[in-house]
Amino acid sequence: MIDLLIFAVLLGALAIAHFYRLIKGPTAADRMVAGDNMDILISCAMVLYSLYSGRGIYLDIAIISAMLGIIDTMLVGRYLDTGRWHKR
Amino acid sequence: MTALRIVIDLLIAVGAIFALAGTIGVNKMPDTFSRMQASTCTSTLGVVGVCLGALLYAIFFKQDPATAIKVVVIGLLVITINPVGAHAIMKGAYRHGVRPDKEMKIDDFRRDFDE
Amino acid sequence: MQKTKFPAVLATFVLCYAFWILLTWSFSAQELAAGAIVSLAAALFSARFFIHDKAFWFLRPARLGALIAYVFIFLGELIKANVDMAKRCFGGCKNIDPGVIRVPVGLKGDYAQAMLANSITLTPGTITLDIAEDQEGQAYYYIHWIDVQSTDPDQAGEMIKGNLERGIRRIWE
Repeated sequence: MIDLLIFAVLLGALAIAHFYRLIKGPTAADRMVAGDNMDILISCAMVLYSLYSGRGIYLDIAIISAMLGIIDTMLVGRYLDTGRWHKR
Repeated sequence: MTALRIVIDLLIAVGAIFALAGTIGVNKMPDTFSRMQASTCTSTLGVVGVCLGALLYAIFFKQDPATAIKVVVIGLLVITINPVGAHAIMKGAYRHGVRPDKEMKIDDFRRDFDE
Repeated sequence: MQKTKFPAVLATFVLCYAFWILLTWSFSAQELAAGAIVSLAAALFSARFFIHDKAFWFLRPARLGALIAYVFIFLGELIKANVDMAKRCFGGCKNIDPGVIRVPVGLKGDYAQAMLANSITLTPGTITLDIAEDQEGQAYYYIHWIDVQSTDPDQAGEMIKGNLERGIRRIWE
């Protein structure tokens, strides 16, 4: 079952490649999009690694990580839109 | 069983190829909005490919219903919630004053709301 | 703020409880009781944000069949758009021509419009920026399109969302 580990490492490397845009990106939206994508890719890599190693705890961590990443993208988007965290 | 292994590997490889396309797009596209468009590539077919492969593996090789259900939940969660975040960050960036370097071909949003 | 209604609470409770059982996947009495209490509290708190219309709207064979058919339509559009976007990315990110275009939408109702907007956002190459309404009640989407092929609103709308809109209209009407 080594191929699952190979794909997990590949997805992790793709996630690391987003650091270029995360550090350089000229605006806050660029950084946020790169961070969101990293988060999703790391969730996928965690799913594959969990199937490889047989430990179920990584799946729970992947669910929580995907949820939190999307929620903070929404918060930052709303903050850039109106200048506050919530609707009046 | 070998044929099934090949199908699973193909699905995960397709997901990884689209994730690679999204990564290249995010790093190389010329302006902010095009980078967001490219990032959608990762979060749709990349996630669908990887989760379908993992689902088939969990059903036929591990025979564990809890694992299969959690994989399905991750896939559905990312697919259904992600467009809300993309929409919020795009509108936020536009209203915050981000504009591409090159003039856009048509810009109805600026025509209707900016003046 | 809307008042909490009983069918909405019931529907939210069933959904939360099914989610709890799917995630824990153990059927001892303790787990089931704890799940019932937690999902009842969550349903009481969040039903008024979650369901605005009739709660059991979906439980009809025709609508469920239309929903399943829509999943396949959507997957077809998704694969087409993804291959197109991947070609642009691998080809050096040069042949793009972005623009924001306003297209009219023929759907009525919050759920249908939100579903169409999310589907458009999920297809790579198009992202919905905003939804607006004019005085006559006609809804418009502002869509960022990475390769503007037509500046005429009706033609552009047909190219972006023709199949998706027909599929969604079969579900919600």
